[in-house]
Amino acid sequence: MAENQKQQEKEDEPRIGVYVCHCGLNIAGSVDCAEVAKFASTLPHVVLSQDNRYTCSDQGQEGIKKDIKEHKLNRVVVASCSPRLHEPTFRKTCEDAGLNKYLFEMANIREHCSWVHLYDRKAGTEKAKDLVKMAVAKASLLQPAEEIEVPIARRALVIGGGVAGIQAALDLADTGYRVYLVEKEPSIGGMMARIDKTFPTMDCSICILAPKMSDVGHHPNIDLLTNSEVSEVKGYIGNFHVKVLRKPRYVTKDCSACGECTKVCPIITANEFDVGLATRHGIYTPFAQAVPSTYIIDMNLCLNKDGVVVCDKCIKACERQAVNFEMKPQTEEIEVGTIVVATGADVFDPSILPDYGFGKFPNVITSLEFERLINAGGPSGGHLIRPSDEEIPKRVAFIQCVGSRSEKSGKPYCSNVCCMNTIKDSLLIKEHWPDTEIYVFYVDIRAYGKGFEDLYKRAKKQGVVFIRGLPAEIRENKRTHDLWLIGENTLKREIYKTSANMVILSIGLEARKDSEMIQRLLTLSRNQDGFFLEAHPKLRPVDAATGGIFFAGCAESPKDIKDSVTQASAAAARAGILMAKGKVTVEAITPITFPEKCKACGLCVKVCPYNALTLDKDKKKVTVIEAACGGCGTCAAECAFGALTQSHFTDEQIIAQIDAITEKDADKKTVAFCCNWCSYAGADFAGVSRMQYPAHARIIRTMCSGRVSTKFIERAFARGAAAVLVSGCHIGDCHYINANLQTQKRVDRMWKKMEQNGLNKERLQLLWASAAEGEKFATKIRDMQSIVEKVKPEEIEKARQVFAKALEDN
Amino acid sequence: MPEKIRHPPIDKEKVQQAQAEIHLLKDQCKGCGYCIEYCPRKVLEESEEINARGVRPPKVVDNSKCIICSFCTAICPDFAIFVEEKPTRKTKEV
Repeated sequence: MAENQKQQEKEDEPRIGVYVCHCGLNIAGSVDCAEVAKFASTLPHVVLSQDNRYTCSDQGQEGIKKDIKEHKLNRVVVASCSPRLHEPTFRKTCEDAGLNKYLFEMANIREHCSWVHLYDRKAGTEKAKDLVKMAVAKASLLQPAEEIEVPIARRALVIGGGVAGIQAALDLADTGYRVYLVEKEPSIGGMMARIDKTFPTMDCSICILAPKMSDVGHHPNIDLLTNSEVSEVKGYIGNFHVKVLRKPRYVTKDCSACGECTKVCPIITANEFDVGLATRHGIYTPFAQAVPSTYIIDMNLCLNKDGVVVCDKCIKACERQAVNFEMKPQTEEIEVGTIVVATGADVFDPSILPDYGFGKFPNVITSLEFERLINAGGPSGGHLIRPSDEEIPKRVAFIQCVGSRSEKSGKPYCSNVCCMNTIKDSLLIKEHWPDTEIYVFYVDIRAYGKGFEDLYKRAKKQGVVFIRGLPAEIRENKRTHDLWLIGENTLKREIYKTSANMVILSIGLEARKDSEMIQRLLTLSRNQDGFFLEAHPKLRPVDAATGGIFFAGCAESPKDIKDSVTQASAAAARAGILMAKGKVTVEAITPITFPEKCKACGLCVKVCPYNALTLDKDKKKVTVIEAACGGCGTCAAECAFGALTQSHFTDEQIIAQIDAITEKDADKKTVAFCCNWCSYAGADFAGVSRMQYPAHARIIRTMCSGRVSTKFIERAFARGAAAVLVSGCHIGDCHYINANLQTQKRVDRMWKKMEQNGLNKERLQLLWASAAEGEKFATKIRDMQSIVEKVKPEEIEKARQVFAKALEDN
Repeated sequence: MPEKIRHPPIDKEKVQQAQAEIHLLKDQCKGCGYCIEYCPRKVLEESEEINARGVRPPKVVDNSKCIICSFCTAICPDFAIFVEEKPTRKTKEV
């Protein structure tokens, strides 16, 4: 028995193989690889150490596979380039040789060493040794892990029934998946249904949209839930439990849309669909092509709103007895595997800009109101009439960038569609009333898309006058209600004062006012402009950071119809990939719990950006929903009792790396923590760009800066490190929604503690650096050189004493 | 739709509300006040005068507010009130 155990222990004992790569001269040029390999062979548990020219070559990989078998290696360390580049390659190599891929570790001696210390071979070699030592220390503690598989329900939820939502729903439904399309308005169609013509081809907007709308209405795979809102989303990728609040229409499906009811309805109010430029009744359909065509009663205005049927005119008028005042709100529960967020955008409200007099001067209108006025199905039957006297204007002015590219209006971004929309609008006016004088006041005209420049040229050819420089002010002639536009022509450098019968403000797009609710329901993140943030701006442009959720249309950023449709099809395809597969594997970097240590304080639950942890207070137990976990590890950093750690980034492993750095000459070194996505990538970028910086820093990679526990920082100081650098993605850019807010809090706490104990808090630095900010990272390391040099031995000693307790753990 | 409405409807003249003609049979009223209480548009209120039955019948405060739902007619226990559409200004439908 005892012998068996001994045998078992012997098998469990790490047998590490180390491979130091020359990468041609990329590494060997400034690092003595043979010496590093020789050094590695002296490290504990290393049974094999060699250097070779290209470890990633087939030959190199075959060598590793052979060694795993021949030398019974159970851990592999490759010292070469960034794990962001070749970790997958070598993990595969290990797997091919029958070794669990989580038993592989990489030391980045190229991007983080040879390329940034090109001219200091000695320092480079010493640093490379440290990096290998760190990797070996971590490797000896690595544990094999299995990735769990989560089933994916083959049903999708599309939130928002604008053109993007319609396209996504149709694509998914045509692929064969069940789709729930939720729209909060009474009809689908969204903004596109309200626009007259589309640019650059001048197609009639509703004419091309209506067939799609009706397809949605008739599709056997689509459940259309209009007048409804998503009220709760629980669960995770593949298994979302969604509650949808279905508000009553008070008209049943028996409605034949004959319209007899509206004729008798005594309530008259402004129709929101027409931006209030036309009237509607209390029982109505927002527009002729509405899907579903079933009428709806506006219960805020209906005489029967208090529950007593005071007025029964619509009931009497309806031959099919479709009016039913008994309808109640209902909550429908649905289970879906993927979600497409196509909630669209709002338009900017220019009444906050007093200089333009919108809302005060009747003849200043917005571009959306213009769309309704020029539309043949609109309130004026397609006659562009000005509100004050219903005359057709002879001089029209457009003002661009109202609520775009302006700090004053709080909208610094370009809204993408307004330039082309104005050009299209000016051509529409010219088409109907060729003699109209049209002036467009602009900042820059952005005609960047296919066919856009042609349209711009056509407008100029037809006599539309483009004047660079927005009016500073609009004044009104009180008698005629004509307008004066006063501003500076920045090309001619002269002041203009132009009159117009009508002014159209080309308003920008802004994030929906209820985006915050959607953000909370689905745990999404938004950029500083309020639009939803994609997982990667270039390579995952339609994925949310949260698994199983995708974006389409203006919810993600302002875009035109073509781009919305393109993105919607992309989102449908991305969701389809998951659903076709029917399952998803989750990387084994989720939390590991030690229930015996748990005090049920619930801090981990609070900091989890994904709601992947639940606390059972009675049982004092935290449960991890692995499929929902993003793998940031901020829960592990928050736990003060060691009851939670992150798989593959355990406390012991990270501490082993810290200890490896600080074993020798700690007082000349910086322990740096970098998050995988931004700052580590930024450091890689500094390497790729050959930005030179001093060799005092040793980087420990974590998935998120939120993994960096204060005890790691304390341990580094307790072991005599000169300085510590914590770096992560910019606030708001975190790849784990907002886990880096915890980083900020923890570093603040550490600074306070250092100050209270009379330590120079400069020794702990915090850096937000994106993957593109290699120079920023390099500069930081250069700046920190002086901090490292200035630290006095007594300061190091003091920090050792202050944080001595950190050495006791583990 | 989330946009704030800033301009009045262009067709508001054309889809004018039918004008009501409210007929009160004052001496038939027993002053229960149902019509006053239940009118959804608050068109009626108690008058100062005393009728044949010794109670205060309702009076019309604002004729233009009435939208001829005729609920007053339906609930009046004494058949003392009814509403007609004014024949002179007929509703002009769009």
